[in-house]
Amino acid sequence: MNITRRNVLLGATAAAAFAPLTSRAQTAEVVIGVIYPLSGASAQIGVDAQKAFETAADLINKNYDFGLPLAKGEGLPGLGGAKIRLVFADHQADPQKGRAEAERLITQEKVCAVIGTYQSSVAVTVSQICERYQIPFLSADNSSPSLHRRGLKFYFRAAPHDEMFSTAMFDFFDAMKKKGTKIETLALFHEDTIFGTDSSNAQLKLAKERGYKVVSDIKYRANSPSLTAEVQQLKAANADVLMPSSYTTDGILLVKTMAELGYKPNAIVAQDAGFSEKALYDAVGDKLEGVISRGSFSLDLAAKRPMVGKINDMFKERSGKDFNDYSSRQFMGLIVMADAINRAKSTDGDKIREALVATDMPGDVTIMPWKRVKFDETGQNNDADPVLLQYVGGKFVTIFPTQAAVAEASWPMK
Amino acid sequence: MTAETIIQSLASGLLMGLLYGLIAVGLALIFGLMDVVNFAHGEFLMIAMYVTFFLFAFFAIDPLLSAPLVAAALFVFGAVVYLLIVRFAVRAKANAGMVQIFSTFGLAIVMRGLAQYFFTPDYRSVTNSWLGGKTVSVAGIFLPVPQLVGALLAIAAFGALYLFINRTDFGRALEATREDAGAVALVGIDKNKVFALGWGLGAALVGLSGAVMAIFFYIYPDVGASFALIAYVTVALGGFGSVFGAFAGGILVGLVEATTALILPPSLKSVGIYAVYLLVVFIRPRGLFGSM
Repeated sequence: MNITRRNVLLGATAAAAFAPLTSRAQTAEVVIGVIYPLSGASAQIGVDAQKAFETAADLINKNYDFGLPLAKGEGLPGLGGAKIRLVFADHQADPQKGRAEAERLITQEKVCAVIGTYQSSVAVTVSQICERYQIPFLSADNSSPSLHRRGLKFYFRAAPHDEMFSTAMFDFFDAMKKKGTKIETLALFHEDTIFGTDSSNAQLKLAKERGYKVVSDIKYRANSPSLTAEVQQLKAANADVLMPSSYTTDGILLVKTMAELGYKPNAIVAQDAGFSEKALYDAVGDKLEGVISRGSFSLDLAAKRPMVGKINDMFKERSGKDFNDYSSRQFMGLIVMADAINRAKSTDGDKIREALVATDMPGDVTIMPWKRVKFDETGQNNDADPVLLQYVGGKFVTIFPTQAAVAEASWPMK
Repeated sequence: MTAETIIQSLASGLLMGLLYGLIAVGLALIFGLMDVVNFAHGEFLMIAMYVTFFLFAFFAIDPLLSAPLVAAALFVFGAVVYLLIVRFAVRAKANAGMVQIFSTFGLAIVMRGLAQYFFTPDYRSVTNSWLGGKTVSVAGIFLPVPQLVGALLAIAAFGALYLFINRTDFGRALEATREDAGAVALVGIDKNKVFALGWGLGAALVGLSGAVMAIFFYIYPDVGASFALIAYVTVALGGFGSVFGAFAGGILVGLVEATTALILPPSLKSVGIYAVYLLVVFIRPRGLFGSM
């Protein structure tokens, strides 16, 4: 019996891929590809996303009395009542798997549009494949600003990107400063893929423009076994505000390590991601009273717009969770895409693209606090106003901007 | 960079390193015994963490108390894995090395898949355990209690393992089987029994580390992956098959990781570990304490 180091390496590099089982395309239905991480470190995101998309498809395919596009009546009237059929694909948070799955969705499943992807790094490759096959791609929940700046004609994003989110954060800092709160120094803490990198670049730029001092800018490796060294540096810098851009796993470890090393910042203003996830608050919520996260959704809206609460109930029945920043954007992603396909009256990529370009959906027929959905020439919706939410007593309340706020920010956090 | 930061880094590195050593030692033990690398090692750790979590969630048994139970459960699991899978894999006449690799690698994928199916991919945590979130601070240096206890457990486990291998009959049988499996059969030692117990022991040590890890780390089906990688480099660094090597290798990996993060951007901290490993390969390819 002989194990050489070479064999060990061979084994370590061997990878197993499972292609999900799928069924054949049929007529009288519109097939849309939905590509998410359904296994691997962020599998729970994909599992929840599936429920959000299924809720949206159900709303479109059956008759509901909501003021949402396509809710009334069954299917897409523009295509003779054709029903939406979703084909889910698993990209495992790997850009290369995303590329292969997107190609498979288009060539074998014959999808007429693709929606995805949670990880921005995967959206890069998926949208390139869609561009090549001239199939519209909609970023439901990717927030990297570089995505819509690549000159792609078939790329669309209805939700805000990180520069818009970060701008909201700095507007909030400015407003707090005006009220006399001391905010001078910031510490950035971000993971090393495109999401964390783009987010910190946007924040660095804004900090410079608005005169805030970044005393610590820490890039860490995603899914690290330990963040002790990183947290020590944050603690040494002791900034007025800690601004993490982290997915769920790293977010949990960050908060735990901070508690272990006795680091308690005055305020945490998070770039969403892990800090919108129930799992993070289940694990370390007791240490996060008063944490602020940006978002594009808030359940507060249900008070003004009752259908938000009702649709949330439909989602909750499927997933056991309330809509969060991600699932709400995923839900809206399918509504926006289906609305365009309905107006295109066709499943041809070019025609759907034209219909997407012509989209003009007022904010009050969505479940979001947005002004409207209207894409600019890069495919970005600039009227998607972000909000800042604060975690108080086990739930999120909107604290910024003022017109959407239901409570004053409590600062410093407890 | 103050002296305090450096001491804090080294202290944290040492604590983490001892845990890395405890995670890796099971791997080294099994390899030393029968030259098989267990590629499902990370998944053994994952199962141990889930067992700890479920004992806590359903029976409110604190991880500190459940650690022996988890170790016992993993002992059985490890022995069963040997008897049902590895025993047959090592019988392969051709390409024996590849058959072993893919059998344990396949086991890893299956375990991960089953965990995702039955436990869901959601992230779990043991909240409000006796030690969770507690910290002792000595002269401005913070030592998290879970890691501290983990490090002490690691030292104790290594001490016990040393005595066990050197002072007991079974330990001697283990050592003899490792040296010449054919000859031990002649003196009436059942090779399969020794191997099964060896796998059980290796897995039990992973179980112990999993119980400690569950106190301060999140739990999900893929959690083993990043720790398994560190366990492999720890074993390779310390010397394949050497139990003491895994102990020293773990401490070294922890310290190198902490020091690298002081000098380079933290996102590159694992680079330091592999750079040191390459250096060791260059000077002493069998690893620091390897005896092949």
